[in-house]
Order: sequence, then structure tokens, then C-alpha cells
Amino acid sequence: MIKKIYLIGNPNVGKSVVFSRLTGVQVISSNYPGTTVEIAKGYLSLDNRKVEVVDLPGTYSLDPTSGAEEVAVSLLKELPKEEIAVINIIDSTNLERNLLLTLQLMEQGYPVVVCMNMCDDAGHRGVHIDFAKLERLLKIPVISTCALTGMGIKLLTERIKEAASVPGEEITHQKRWLEIGKIIEQVQRLEHRHHTFREIMEDASVRPVSGMLLAGAIIYAAFKIVRFIGEGIITHITDPVFFNLYQPVLEKLSSYWEVKGFWFHLLIGDLIGGKIDFKQSLGVLTTAPYIEFGMVLPYVVSFYFILSLLEDIGYLPRLAVLLDNLLHRLGLHGYAVIPVLLGFGCNVPGILSTRVLESKRERFIASTIISIGVPCVPLQAMIFGLLGKFGGFYVSGVYLVLFSLVIILGIILNRTLTGYSPEFLLEIPPYRFPPLFMLWKKLYFRIKGFLLEAMPVVLLGVCFINILLYFNLFDFVTAIFAPIIQGLFGLPKEAVVALVIGFLRKDVAVGMLMPLGLTAKQLFIGATLLAISFPCIASFVVLAKELGIKGLIKSTLIMIGISIIVGALLNFLILR
Amino acid sequence: MKKISLVQIKANNKVRVLEILGGSNLESKLLSMGVYKGKPLIKLSHIGLRGPVVIKSGRSILALGHGVAEKIIVEQE
Repeated sequence: MIKKIYLIGNPNVGKSVVFSRLTGVQVISSNYPGTTVEIAKGYLSLDNRKVEVVDLPGTYSLDPTSGAEEVAVSLLKELPKEEIAVINIIDSTNLERNLLLTLQLMEQGYPVVVCMNMCDDAGHRGVHIDFAKLERLLKIPVISTCALTGMGIKLLTERIKEAASVPGEEITHQKRWLEIGKIIEQVQRLEHRHHTFREIMEDASVRPVSGMLLAGAIIYAAFKIVRFIGEGIITHITDPVFFNLYQPVLEKLSSYWEVKGFWFHLLIGDLIGGKIDFKQSLGVLTTAPYIEFGMVLPYVVSFYFILSLLEDIGYLPRLAVLLDNLLHRLGLHGYAVIPVLLGFGCNVPGILSTRVLESKRERFIASTIISIGVPCVPLQAMIFGLLGKFGGFYVSGVYLVLFSLVIILGIILNRTLTGYSPEFLLEIPPYRFPPLFMLWKKLYFRIKGFLLEAMPVVLLGVCFINILLYFNLFDFVTAIFAPIIQGLFGLPKEAVVALVIGFLRKDVAVGMLMPLGLTAKQLFIGATLLAISFPCIASFVVLAKELGIKGLIKSTLIMIGISIIVGALLNFLILR
Repeated sequence: MKKISLVQIKANNKVRVLEILGGSNLESKLLSMGVYKGKPLIKLSHIGLRGPVVIKSGRSILALGHGVAEKIIVEQE
């Protein structure tokens, strides 16, 4: 009887999409190897029984050469072979490479069903496979699927029970490749055709000159489009809703309020010139929703739209190839570009995905760099919202400071940390154009995740701040840190509150700077310090999980040290 | 016919793998990805200044760090 079903296959063959189809559990999938960093589990009903389905990280063979592969192999051994079924997912466009794992699974006696995924894409690329013949040769069920559209999934569920174990003699990989060559000759026919536009672009994006030009154009366009969509949502949707619909309601509410005491202070906040000001009132019903929905959410939507698009097309691994050189100097390799880009959305998934890097040293460098030099979308949106009115000079200034910090810090860490950073070895996926509904699904999933994570913290955070402010409880903290903040960084002592709140959420913290009436220089220093000092509490928890307590302390000390140095340098030297 | 490393070959050349230097870990990793002794490859591109090398092996495109590419000795046909 089958107690557990495992999905196993090479990296980036669509395991997670098949998993979502089988279990209904939504997991993020992208067109690059290593998207699955946390083992996803779900349930499938088989003969009216609920059977657990486990989505394993991608692996090329059963003799693991990396951390993720080790996890996959050890999970397979949890239960006796009679109690499991293994669905071996294969990328039909690249049958040859995928069969190595299939043969090895069979030799070791696992009950296997082969799922030939992406078979529509194989057709487009002129790869024709005789599935019936493959089934006869392997002597195990072979089902062709297209998980994106759901084609073949029903048949796959029906045939899981037929998973057959045909143990054979274990041979060497060399012999396996010979064996595979013979199978391929019998079942696969390649149609000869001219290079398509897609193939020409695939090629051009990894060649030195055309690749760099394309990368520059794509990054520039991505940045412009993110701003265009973000600003569009603000001017055409969120601002009208806040100012034309929401504000009149709140004004009415506040005018009925007779004694403007504690609750008024908590919910509405301070009236600016007798009116509610969404940016300065600091109430749970005023500034809190405006920061999240009116300033941050529009950019979260536009950023994740563009990132998801680039991910699904399969551009990111190509960017990794082009940036390998630079990242090498920082003790990383090209693939670190994936966690860094995810970190621009939110540091939490960025730090989590440092698991695609092999060594502990690389993971430490990447996590530290992300926490210090990679501002998340909420923080960036606030920086744009706040500093934008002083001109692009200040906004790009913040990015310039952060970028230089990443480079300097990376070089120093690379020179001083012991351990090794392994070489780059990565399979580059073909470009794929996923259907739009997949993109929407992913976008919806990410935005929902953002709101669920951010809203409670923002509301409770603003509540908490208001209570502390109302009873003057911040005075003590302010008094301790005021000398540093005023003396070293040139900020008013009220900014202490904002910097402390930065530990809760960065967007709210920048929001705290809004009512202080700071000069451009002070705002610049404040925003930069918020970016590089302590990560917010969510990132902090993930850092602790990924680096361990010792690594976390080391990373935190680096952050505090750098904040003090950079804050003072900016104040005394650069922006005099 | 001459033996040289993947780094020294010019882009767009067809080669055949002669041997893989370096640890058995690298060798087994490449082996499981389909790069082994006797396998024909095409070098697609090489990012300058000690950058990575991109090869085509069967239907897969692989990016190899400079250090890895140096260890793959090939013969040009």
C-alpha cells in the first residue's frame, strides 16, 4: 500500500507545477533551477485515502553532490520502498539528460512512474518522443503531461498505483549514459529546423557583447516599467480612493469626536492644520493604511509583476552568467544574483533562497550583503515617496551609497572570511513563455503573502508607537541615543524613534520621519541608515534560522558598525 | 588534434572531452549532468576577464565557472 508519494526529477523540470496540480497546494515555481528551497508537502486522494505527496528539490542523480540533492536523497529513504511511489518527472525537451536519474531509481528498486512533462514545449522544439515505446523499454508506466495546462495529470493520478519496481544491477554512470544513448535512438526523433527567434535570443543573451547590451536594456526597462506601473496605480487608483472617498469619511468621523483624547490619538492621530494628513497624522486608521496601501502596495504589485515575468521566461540564469565575474570578486558566484534580486522584493525570501548557494561562507556573505545593501520594495517605495520631491539626485544617491557598500563589504568579506566558495556550475534553462494565468496566479500568491505578513505588523506597530508616544515612554530611549543621533548623524532626537521602529518594519519607520520636517540631507542620512542598519524583525528571524546564532551575531555586529561609520561619514564628509 | 582546456578554445567550436582534472566531486557532478570522457560538446561563449564559459552538451546548455572550464581538457576535431 502506498503511504507516501515523492516527486523527484532534475532541477527545473516543473516538479512544483506538477505538485500544485496534484495536491492543489500553491507553491512558487520559476524557470530556473533551485526554486524549491523548502520541501513542500500536500495531499492527494488515492482510492479515497489521503496520501502525502512530497515535492523534492531537483537532483541530477542519486549520489548527491550538493546540499539540496542530499536532502532529496535522504528523504527518499525515510520509508521502506514497498510503502512509497516515486513520480520521476522528466523534461521532455531534454529526455537524454533526465534518464540518468530514472535508470538509477529503477536500479535501486524504487517503484517508479515516469511523468514526461512539458511535452507541448517538446513539440514546439521539434522533439518527437514515442512514449509507448519508452514504456515498453523501461517496463514502467510512462505518462505524458503538460502540468501548466493540466493535460495528462488525471491519467498520472490514475496510474500512480501501477508504479513498478524492476530492480536491476547497479552500473556506473558511464555505462548508464551508453544505455541511455541506445534508448534515445529508439524513442526520440529530432526534427531538423532553422533557428527560431527564441533560440537566437537564447544565444545572444549569454554572449559577452550582445549579452551585456541586452542585460543593460532589460534592467533599464524593468526599472522604468516598475516605476511606471507603480506611479500609475498611485495616481489613478489608490490616491483618488484615499483622498476622495476615504478622507471625507474620516473627517466626518473626527468632527463628531468631542474630546480628542487617547482613542482619537490612537486611531486618527494628530490633525495637521485642522485636517487629517495621511502622511503625518500617524493614526491606525490614517497613516497606517496609507503607507501600506497608498505608498507601498502599488510598487509591490509592479515589482513582483516584472520579477515574475523575468523569472518565468528564464532570463535570470543568463544574468547570472554575465555577472559571475563581478560576483566572484565578492566571494560569490553568478547564481547569487537570484537571492539578491528576490531580496529587492523582500529580504525574507532573498535570504531564504541563499540556499541555492552551496557553501556556508557564500551563504553568510550573500545574507549579510542582502540585509545591508539590498533595500526591499516597501523601503524603496518610501524612499521614492519621501526623497523624490527633492530630486532624483538624492534618490540615486541612496542607491549609489548602498551599491558601493555592497562592493566594499563583499571584497573585505571575501578577503577575510575563511572557508571556500565553490565554482559556478549551472544549467541554463531555455526561454519559456508561460501562459498569462500562471503569471497572475504567482502575482496574486506573492501579494497575498505580502499583505498577510505586513498588515498585522504595521497596524500593531503603529498602535504600539502611538501608545508609547502618548505616555511619553520613548523619552528614555531617546535620551540614551540622542547624543549619537544628533552628534554623529546630524538628525533631530525624534528620529531615534524612527530608527528603533526600523526593527519592526522599514516602511513604517520611514513614515515616522515624514512628520519631522527634515531637510533633504537629514532625510537622505535617515533613509540610508534605515536601509543598512538592523534588518526588520522578519528578516532577523530568517537570518537566525539560516546562519545560526553565531552567524547572526557576527552579521549584526557588521551591520551596526557599518551604520555608524556610514552615518558619520555622510554627515561630516560627503554631504557637508 | 591537440589537447587543450575548454578555456583556450574559441567560441563556436566543436570539441570532445578527453579528461576532467580536479577532484572526483567535480567529475561526478559533471558526469551526472552529462559531461564525461568522450562526450562531444560545443563551446557557445566565453565571458572575458576570467568569466564563465557556456557550453552545449546534448540538448543542455551549461554555464561553467572559469575554474571549472580550466579543468576540462578537450580535443578539437
